[in-house]
Amino acid sequence: MKVSEEGQGIGASLLPILEKLPFLSRCAKTRGWHYVIGWLHRLTGIWLVIAMTAHIYNLSPAPTAKMKIPALPIFAFFAWASSLAAGFHALNGGRLILYELFGNRNDAAMVRWTFGLSVAYAAMVGFLMIAKNQSASALFFWLTAFFAGVVTAYAVASRVWKTRHSAPWMLQRISGAFLLIAVPAYLLFLYLNPGVADHARAAVARMQDNVFTGIVFLALAAASLYHAGYGLFSVMADYVASRRARAGLTALILAFIAVLVFFTFRILSI
Amino acid sequence: MSKSYSLTLTIRRFDPDASRRWFQTYTLSTGPILRFVDLFRRINVEQDATLAWTSSCEHAQCGSCSVKVNGRPMLACELLVENAVNLFGTTKFRIEPVTVAPVVRDLVVDWEKAYERVHRAKPYLIEPKELPPGMTEHRISPGKIARYEEATRCINCFCCAEACLSSCRNFIGPNAAMAGIVRMMDIRETQKEERLDLLYSEEGIYRCHTSKACSHVCPKEIDVAHFIALAKEGAF
Ligand code: SF4
Ligand code: SF4
Repeated sequence: MKVSEEGQGIGASLLPILEKLPFLSRCAKTRGWHYVIGWLHRLTGIWLVIAMTAHIYNLSPAPTAKMKIPALPIFAFFAWASSLAAGFHALNGGRLILYELFGNRNDAAMVRWTFGLSVAYAAMVGFLMIAKNQSASALFFWLTAFFAGVVTAYAVASRVWKTRHSAPWMLQRISGAFLLIAVPAYLLFLYLNPGVADHARAAVARMQDNVFTGIVFLALAAASLYHAGYGLFSVMADYVASRRARAGLTALILAFIAVLVFFTFRILSI
Repeated sequence: MSKSYSLTLTIRRFDPDASRRWFQTYTLSTGPILRFVDLFRRINVEQDATLAWTSSCEHAQCGSCSVKVNGRPMLACELLVENAVNLFGTTKFRIEPVTVAPVVRDLVVDWEKAYERVHRAKPYLIEPKELPPGMTEHRISPGKIARYEEATRCINCFCCAEACLSSCRNFIGPNAAMAGIVRMMDIRETQKEERLDLLYSEEGIYRCHTSKACSHVCPKEIDVAHFIALAKEGAF
């Protein structure tokens, strides 16, 4: 039996800092680094659902100003941490798509890129948040980002469409492929507005300036809500065995997503 | 002179008659090349005859001695003391039964229950292709066999199922999924529909999230996740 495998492959190539964290390295010994990354993907996914909920709630018109999430430094940190989670979740999702659908089996290098680029991306967002003096044309920015997202989604769709997979699973992969470009782009866009780095509302208003960016916003919201809903369902379906409990929790997830859809439409109607 | 180790084994016990569960600690001095099944046997002989555990071939071929050692599913018959100490960096080991089947007593589980998943995947040719005229056997090229030969080493020890991120509550399990996939890669099999129905169901590959824990713990070094990914890719 081979027991010295911890020194090879992924264990040897992962960021050394992770190996120093006792809990993570214990998990890696018993189930492997990919297992740890699998859990990180799940946890960042749940984090992003919470962040998206807070974001949608904060953007939509509230009955009183008091009900808004205040602009405290801790929330700025939460927003920055969300960019780290989004970068990791997107890049790791891309790695999984390459592994599962495009036959890329040697993904140790991909794991290194996932961690490295996530940190670089979060650093860039952090810089934009602090600098607050950037400007980008909404139309030009979204023409590029939307086109890249659609092409990525199309590449995945053409790969899975003729397979036997269930439609919800395929849509999860396709929406994921679109979001892997669109969400990091969206977070960047929020901070690419001169002097309004803390005002997501102003950035979203800019997206509704013309029909094209309005459609982009709608596509982004639809893909995010679907991806979040199916992601939650998928985690639940792994662990809840009772049929009745599964049905109840599925209904709860649907209701939760429906509430978010409602709030999203309220943003659009501002 | 060979090394000796002073080990502490904390073993999860279960007495079905009293419905009682507890952890019991045993200390042993051993040499480096004793296997964990040898440790269990020594506990039976020297300290506690009531400790129940299973093994059969004791050559890593039957999969009946799978247990969790410090949380990692492993075959007790091939885990040497020295390797365990090197792997976990300690001489203290917590040993628990696997959770893929109900516990009968101490480290003994009802393997038949675990096997039900594999039976559902039908690990045999359901409808073999007819032999070509004048032939007494099917000829499969080495290239074709090489694509799935690795998977035929599976001994159904369920270490992969135990380690799976998806927990195997609702998942047929990596080894059972692979058993179906391998038969679809076999050119002699003609009945694929039934296998595909199971694979592309909510208890099939949708419960796999490519965490590769299965490949990591497999004592036969099978890249289980690769075979499951072939089904995701739509290779059949
Ligand atoms: S694939 Fe490996 S770990 Fe899984 S049952 Fe077969 S031999 Fe055991
Ligand atoms: S790759 Fe899939 S089958 Fe293997 S441990 Fe991970 S979730 Fe389970």
